[in-house]
Amino acid sequence: MNIRFSIIGLITAALIPLISITAGCGKQSVPAPRTQEDIDSKSHFRATYDPLHFKPAIASATNEQCLACHREVLEERVRPVSPAGVNAHDTRAWYQQVSTYKGEQDTFHRRHLVTHMAKELMNLQCNTCHEGHDPREEAPGSSATGASQEDTGFTLRKQVNPEAICLKCHGQFPGWELMRLPGTWDETKHYFQNDCLTCHVSTRTHRHQVNYLKAEAIEAAAIAAKESGNGADVCLGCHGARAWYRIPYPYARNPWHEMPEGMPDWAKDRPVHSEPRFLKTEQKP
Amino acid sequence: MTNKLDMKKVKVALERKVAQTYEPVKPAMQFGFIHNNVDCIGCRACEIACKDKNGLPPGPRFRRVMYVEGGTYPDVFAYKVNMSCNHCAEPACLPTCPTGAIWKRSKDGIVDIDSSLCIGCRKCEASCPYGAPQWNPKEQIIQKCNMCVDEIDAGRKPYCVMACMMRVLDIGPIDKLWEGKFKTTAVGPNDETVRQVKNMANPELTKPSIAFVPHRKGKVKS
Repeated sequence: MNIRFSIIGLITAALIPLISITAGCGKQSVPAPRTQEDIDSKSHFRATYDPLHFKPAIASATNEQCLACHREVLEERVRPVSPAGVNAHDTRAWYQQVSTYKGEQDTFHRRHLVTHMAKELMNLQCNTCHEGHDPREEAPGSSATGASQEDTGFTLRKQVNPEAICLKCHGQFPGWELMRLPGTWDETKHYFQNDCLTCHVSTRTHRHQVNYLKAEAIEAAAIAAKESGNGADVCLGCHGARAWYRIPYPYARNPWHEMPEGMPDWAKDRPVHSEPRFLKTEQKP
Repeated sequence: MTNKLDMKKVKVALERKVAQTYEPVKPAMQFGFIHNNVDCIGCRACEIACKDKNGLPPGPRFRRVMYVEGGTYPDVFAYKVNMSCNHCAEPACLPTCPTGAIWKRSKDGIVDIDSSLCIGCRKCEASCPYGAPQWNPKEQIIQKCNMCVDEIDAGRKPYCVMACMMRVLDIGPIDKLWEGKFKTTAVGPNDETVRQVKNMANPELTKPSIAFVPHRKGKVKS
């Protein structure tokens, strides 16, 4: 009998927020801020089906709302020593080679949200990467969450879509052929004093105009690197030198008003503008 | 008796290694998994066999059977997608590891990990497009499928494959699996194999060594 009651309770707990998801579809409603009391009183099951985890509410979720429950992503730090005795202090990761990075080894989420480099050059929010999930099996369209199978907000076994998000800064160098270089950057960088700004001081000068990056700070870091002789290393930190993936990200063209009309060859088959959710307020129509 | 390491030399060697551009290992032969999405009944015996073999606590799941169900009556569908580590030809996890805990075997392309070297930075977990590296919250380390290398080296198949009662999960040389030239119970006489199914991240990211027999609703339009 008790088991039956608890099952009914679980089903009810699941249905109430689901009804509110359905009711909220298309309204872009913003969930009310949660108090600590709300969070403490929620069962894990209820919290899993909180509307904040799903579209459309997730699009307007603030970091504070996400971190109220998921605070461990910022609290956990790397182990000082591995089980076999490797000191974290004695190891160096790729990102620590970039002159803009300061500090010790750190965890993935902290490096994207709160470390020095993240604060100086980036403006990433939780929902920059996390666009929704499926509490059941992480496959879009597999349960009553409203996500269709065509949803690309997340992929099998991942809470994000790596091709749409991670690839932006962790892809390959975006095509030396497109830039009409005589060879790959590694082969030809000495022609350009190992400095991207040799050409890009007059070409593609409106850069990084998206709301998840701090464009002015990135420009300043690139110029500082040029003056200190680190040159391309700062740019290549996100543009291919330490790529996770084997393909480049097809960046949107984002033409500005002085640019010649017409679509250049390199931009064919690419979007004209960045995704609407990443456009800065002043860029939005 | 081990020699005492010259830490200055180690530091110089480490900086040289980290500064290098990563070139993936090109194995003599690449092993990969194959899964029949249609005939799998989702019993999760493979998941349990894997957890048992690897002594995993609640949380990390090297192998995961994903239930994909949907549609509107009468056009409804249900199938399973079963993935563990895809032992990618060009793995993203490998170059992200700051301690060199992950490597790719040159003889069969298996991407192995020595989790005792892990400092828990979780970069490999984030970089893998297929969610293979698993966080062990108790140990604060990452662990992942290594295709049961000990079984492979002993001439046997991984625990998950051996546990599959429907015989829809198997391993083999991935090129032959993709070409349909490898004899396996996972592929029926009229089945075709594919490299990607719906909702799976783009295989061009890391070239995963996996083949599927897809459900009609799981096919990716090319």
